Amino acid sequence: MTAAHSPVEAEALPDKPQSQRRRFWRRMFRNPLAVLSMLWIAFLVLSWIWPELVATKDPFKGDPTLQDIFLTPNGEYWLGTDGFGRDYFSRVIHGAGFAFQSIFIAMSIAVGIGVPLGLFSGWRGGRIDRTIMWFNDVIFSLPIVLLAFAVVIVLTPSLNSAMVGVGIAMSTRFTRLTRAVTLAEKEELYVDAARITGLSTPTILRRYIAPNLLPSLIVQFAIIAGAIILIGATLSFLGVGANLDDPDWGVMLSRSRVEFRRVGIWQIVPPAGALVLTVLSFNLLGDAIRDSLGRDKTSNALTVSKRVSITPTDRPHREDSLLSIRTMDVEFPTGGGDPVQILNGVSMAVQPGETLGVVGESGSGKSMTVLSALGLTPAPGRMTRGSVKFDGQDVTSISEREWQKIRGKDIGVIFQEPIAVLNPALKVGRQIMEPLLLHTDMDKKAARERAVELLAEVKVPDPRRRIDQYPHEFSGGMAQRVGIAMALACSPKLLIADEPTTALDVTVQGQILDLLMEIQEERGTSIVIITHDLGVIAEVADRVIVMYGGQVVEGGAVDDIFLRPRHPYTKALLDTMPQNHHGDDSPLAVIPGVVPSPTDWPAGCRFAPRCEHATDRCRDELPGLEVLAPGEVVRCHHHGELRELLASEWTEVTL
Amino acid sequence: MAKYIAFRVLATIPLLLAIAVLTFGISVAMEGRGSIAVSVCGEGATQECVTEVEAALGLDDPLPTRFVNWLGDVVQGDLGTSLSNRNQLVGDLIGERIWPTLSIVSLSLLIGISLGMFFGISAAIRPGGLLDRTLSIVAASVIAAPGFILGMLLSWWLAVRWGWFDPVGYVSMGESTSGWLKSITLPGIALALPTLAIVQRQLRSSMANALQSRYVLAARARGVRSSKLIVSHALPNAMIPTITVIGFRAAAAIGLTVAVEVVFGIRGMGELLVTSIVNRNVTVLQGGMIVVGLAVATVNLLVDISYGFLNPKVRLEK
Amino acid sequence: MTDSLLSVDRLAVHFGGRSKLFGAAAPTVKAVNDVSFKIDSQRTFGLVGESGSGKSTVARAILQLVDIHAGSIHLDGTDVTHVQRSAELGFRKRVQAVLQDPFSSLNQVHTTETIVGDPITRHRGVKPGNERRDLVGALLDLVGLGRDYLDRYPYEMSGGQRQRISIARALAVEPDLVIADEATSALDVSIQSQVINLLQDIQRERGVAFLFIAHDLEVVSHMSHEVGVMYLGYLVESGAAEAVYQAPTHPYTEMLVASIPFPNPREQAKRRLLRQSFKTAEPPSPANLPPGCPFENRCPVAMDICREEMPPTSVVHHGGVARCHLHTSGPALGGESVVEFIKSQAKGCVEV
Ligand SMILES: Nc1ncnc2c1ncn2[C@@H]1O[C@H](COP(=O)(O)OP(=O)(O)OP(=O)(O)O)[C@@H](O)[C@H]1O
Ligand code: SF4
Ligand code: SF4
Ligand SMILES: [Mg+2]
Repeated sequence: MTAAHSPVEAEALPDKPQSQRRRFWRRMFRNPLAVLSMLWIAFLVLSWIWPELVATKDPFKGDPTLQDIFLTPNGEYWLGTDGFGRDYFSRVIHGAGFAFQSIFIAMSIAVGIGVPLGLFSGWRGGRIDRTIMWFNDVIFSLPIVLLAFAVVIVLTPSLNSAMVGVGIAMSTRFTRLTRAVTLAEKEELYVDAARITGLSTPTILRRYIAPNLLPSLIVQFAIIAGAIILIGATLSFLGVGANLDDPDWGVMLSRSRVEFRRVGIWQIVPPAGALVLTVLSFNLLGDAIRDSLGRDKTSNALTVSKRVSITPTDRPHREDSLLSIRTMDVEFPTGGGDPVQILNGVSMAVQPGETLGVVGESGSGKSMTVLSALGLTPAPGRMTRGSVKFDGQDVTSISEREWQKIRGKDIGVIFQEPIAVLNPALKVGRQIMEPLLLHTDMDKKAARERAVELLAEVKVPDPRRRIDQYPHEFSGGMAQRVGIAMALACSPKLLIADEPTTALDVTVQGQILDLLMEIQEERGTSIVIITHDLGVIAEVADRVIVMYGGQVVEGGAVDDIFLRPRHPYTKALLDTMPQNHHGDDSPLAVIPGVVPSPTDWPAGCRFAPRCEHATDRCRDELPGLEVLAPGEVVRCHHHGELRELLASEWTEVTL
Repeated sequence: MAKYIAFRVLATIPLLLAIAVLTFGISVAMEGRGSIAVSVCGEGATQECVTEVEAALGLDDPLPTRFVNWLGDVVQGDLGTSLSNRNQLVGDLIGERIWPTLSIVSLSLLIGISLGMFFGISAAIRPGGLLDRTLSIVAASVIAAPGFILGMLLSWWLAVRWGWFDPVGYVSMGESTSGWLKSITLPGIALALPTLAIVQRQLRSSMANALQSRYVLAARARGVRSSKLIVSHALPNAMIPTITVIGFRAAAAIGLTVAVEVVFGIRGMGELLVTSIVNRNVTVLQGGMIVVGLAVATVNLLVDISYGFLNPKVRLEK
Repeated sequence: MTDSLLSVDRLAVHFGGRSKLFGAAAPTVKAVNDVSFKIDSQRTFGLVGESGSGKSTVARAILQLVDIHAGSIHLDGTDVTHVQRSAELGFRKRVQAVLQDPFSSLNQVHTTETIVGDPITRHRGVKPGNERRDLVGALLDLVGLGRDYLDRYPYEMSGGQRQRISIARALAVEPDLVIADEATSALDVSIQSQVINLLQDIQRERGVAFLFIAHDLEVVSHMSHEVGVMYLGYLVESGAAEAVYQAPTHPYTEMLVASIPFPNPREQAKRRLLRQSFKTAEPPSPANLPPGCPFENRCPVAMDICREEMPPTSVVHHGGVARCHLHTSGPALGGESVVEFIKSQAKGCVEV
């Protein structure tokens, strides 16, 4: 449903393709390793095409007097000489030719077989696909060296025949990759859409699958090029590759494999260095391409966002609140420019025993508000202003260790994606027991009994059996009940439910909401429920906070807000719902335009571009959050004048 | 689980069969390119030698019969006789040479997997941190260096310069256990280093993925400590792709040990196979391939079984 | 009687069931069973049901994207159950679709002009160029985007805008029927109403018929003239939209109606009681359907016969059909609404 709200809305901002390409190259050139790799590979390619330009000496002819043998580097021989007095520098340079010739032969075979086979297999699917892939995997699982041996013994030993074997072995890598991408792309809706449009299969393969395949192929290409050189050198080293006199890196190593112990390690350095540098360059290049194409992955759930330099606020906390958030700002740094402000001056409070609903569209900052209040702001975002108080304690900048004592014990959290928040590798019982073992002095046995009870309390049928099952054996609704059981385990004072029913069916949604209300009645737990659905709010909440564009725009008792909304946005949201149009054929009311993005909030009121009551003042001046009574707030310049206009003429709906 | 294991064991049979077909195919393909007998016996081959070789290969029968006969022999452990020395049973030859190879490969996997996992986890805890960046550069370089080069470097410093180990040679376990261990340490490490780097990289990246997942965030919201998030939440999931990679690497290591043995002058499977290729001694190569194939199939089976332990979805399906 | 624009007759779609090469046989998933309905031209038929109930599979079957196990589909009286390759282009010209996810249903590498223009080239032979650009521009005007969007890529647009592009693409070939599979579900509340209005305007102006699929009964009944309710691959009730909503004749429909959250706290309180009579149970898996009524384990008024026998379809008061034993056995409601009966039964009902 709606609002697969990414916690970091700023990242969702699109790029133009030109700028995407430019960003790719910018990232590549900013990466010193990638630049060095490209330079080295370019140098080798030059040596391959025109070795005499780079190397001045004859790689085959040594010193006839056998004086200059086993030399270390000097002015005459830059990299020293081998046992025949041959110039190592020239030999290494000429060796590039063998390396690239190997890549050329093996890669032609690997790509030539692998890519078409993978495309065919993936596109056809079914039994043909399974058969092809089974045979592919058999070859894939055999050591490449061994396959090369098999080909070499048939074709007589030479570098080229070895490379035929390596090529065949490597083709299985391309088959796998191509097939995986094709299979994934085939399932994409846009391929269905293309077929519905009437496009033919070759057109779809060419215009839809190929462009998406190319990036991963290029990455694979670089890495396999490195692997080919490595295996080619190994085979030459073993004497089943290049000829004994060739200036091939593997052969050179093979020739010094005994002598180096006597005359010194330098004897292996030039060929080994060239070999390692080249393979390394290809690997680094592959990595760099992959990184430059994808997103950064420098944060994870362990990266605790810093809680320093938070500007305090002078807005006072209500003494009687359980959780109180005051004037909270949250920012995300961007790749160089100004940070994006995701939340701006957010204030809300939950009283003991009440249910507070937080409603807003995707990107309005609902989830970010509660995550930040719990010290879980996803890195690299951070809270820059505000104050948070829970149960009488100022928790604005307490340490992660102190948080660990509160989370799960005094505050339980229920998430949107019930299956994704359960660890797929662990039995659900173990996951429910976790907070019990962590926060209470129960032993394993008692915790297990309690877990069964908890499952029964959230109405999971047959709890004793289901406790030993894995998350994938649960439907979404049942998984959400498990999530609730986990959140409830230590009888928290506050339950935070972030879109607990969005991923569920309406029929199941109703039951989950009923369950939450029962819990509230029986235990007196305070609940914060986040949703984009005003109907859900009407169902469960006592008070509601409406958010728009990273700000609170209205807050108050549910009955008041639904019948007499004060903010034009709340009113407009209510009007767009088909429920409020029941039985008439008139078109639905709409809110024109789109939700603004965090990178360009309007200067004045954030709703002004879509508000039918907007005035010049609205467009220039950001309205403040006005407190009308405790727990009753509105952020609008004109709420006084609009009061009567917005009050809804509610028509009773009959069932 | 027992059912799953039984199923996996059965599933290796077609794999072994495929390896057998491939192996048998070598001699067929060789014939297609000219008489094996002539190339084995050399240019001025005596008729005696040629008939002997042809009889050893059973070249008279039609292909399917030959395959079935050959397979029947192989299954009974009869790998035929060496073409270059008619008195030498291939089975015996391999039996002699397999122990050094097996020792080196096992030691290298032991070191590579355990240390690789340790460093992989350490790097994943602080992605982009100093340790992570250092390890990623070291790992990339080590992956780029074939085992035999690493072996030469180790041999130079640790054996030649410092004299801690013997530069060449193999001591069998029967002769002296400590000598055996000492003789396989350097080749074992040389082969282990790339394994270590590969496992480290894979585990680091799958740990990074697991740590970004919703279930880790949810566990953190339950107050779970960081160390526990890593060990009991992220690791079991991150191991699933890592196990697959370990399997591939184990198979590759079985092939690459050949070159490492050559560096350390160890007469293992490596030397046997290389000599057999140069002499076009096809029965020995076939025997070697069968043995290696068996090893690969065993590794695959182990991987599949551990996969079943780690991934509840796979285990329950079958 | 003249033929309906589209008539689907006893459609069944099954997945899997064939054995893998060296593996165990996968169980057959009966995604769609015995589904029949008709859509008249210029009308909207809505299909509603929970996720996994087979709505999308019905759409995909009509669009020739999955293999049909049994049943038939006719377009204007012509059999289109299995469209021959030679006739495919003609079929595609008449039946188009707007798919669920506005993020993945457009290819990221093409601009709007290409996405909407490709079908124009394919079906009307207008080569890329100024003429085609004009045609695409006109379509963009029609869906309320304007020509500024001609050179944009999908990722430069919001979900609502992308969905409008999908609609423009579907309209490009001037089809008679557009299948909209969850076309509004992924959109924000304020955007959803924009797209719904757009679809209704288009029907009024262009006279296309819609098969409108969604899991939200409220949205579906607002959009549609007739609706069908699916549960586990079966069409459990169908009929005139307003009547099905007001006086359902199948307990599952009643459950759906009672589950719609209303943005009115007082209204909600009334509905809660009724909803609580439904049992907490997981629906059976479509790979392992029970012999009787698939809704039996969640139905508050299930009878013995429900466990054993598949209920027959009965014609009910609103002129449509329902698949429930209540109309023929037990209280034998004979096609009347089930609401009162469930309310009377639910009084003393204890939760399981
Ligand atoms: N290709 C397939 N192979 C196997 N099973 C499938 C396949 N496609 C769909 N199914 C199954 O068929 C059933 C019906 O799926 P379908 O996608 O039609 O449901 P839906 O009502 O559209 O759900 P949603 O609201 O989530 O889109 C489900 O059980 C689904 O898992
Ligand atoms: S401040 Fe102005 S633009 Fe903003 S909501 Fe109020 S009336 Fe509308
Ligand atoms: S057939 Fe029986 S179980 Fe099914 S819906 Fe009707 S009354 Fe309920
Ligand atoms: Mg669907």
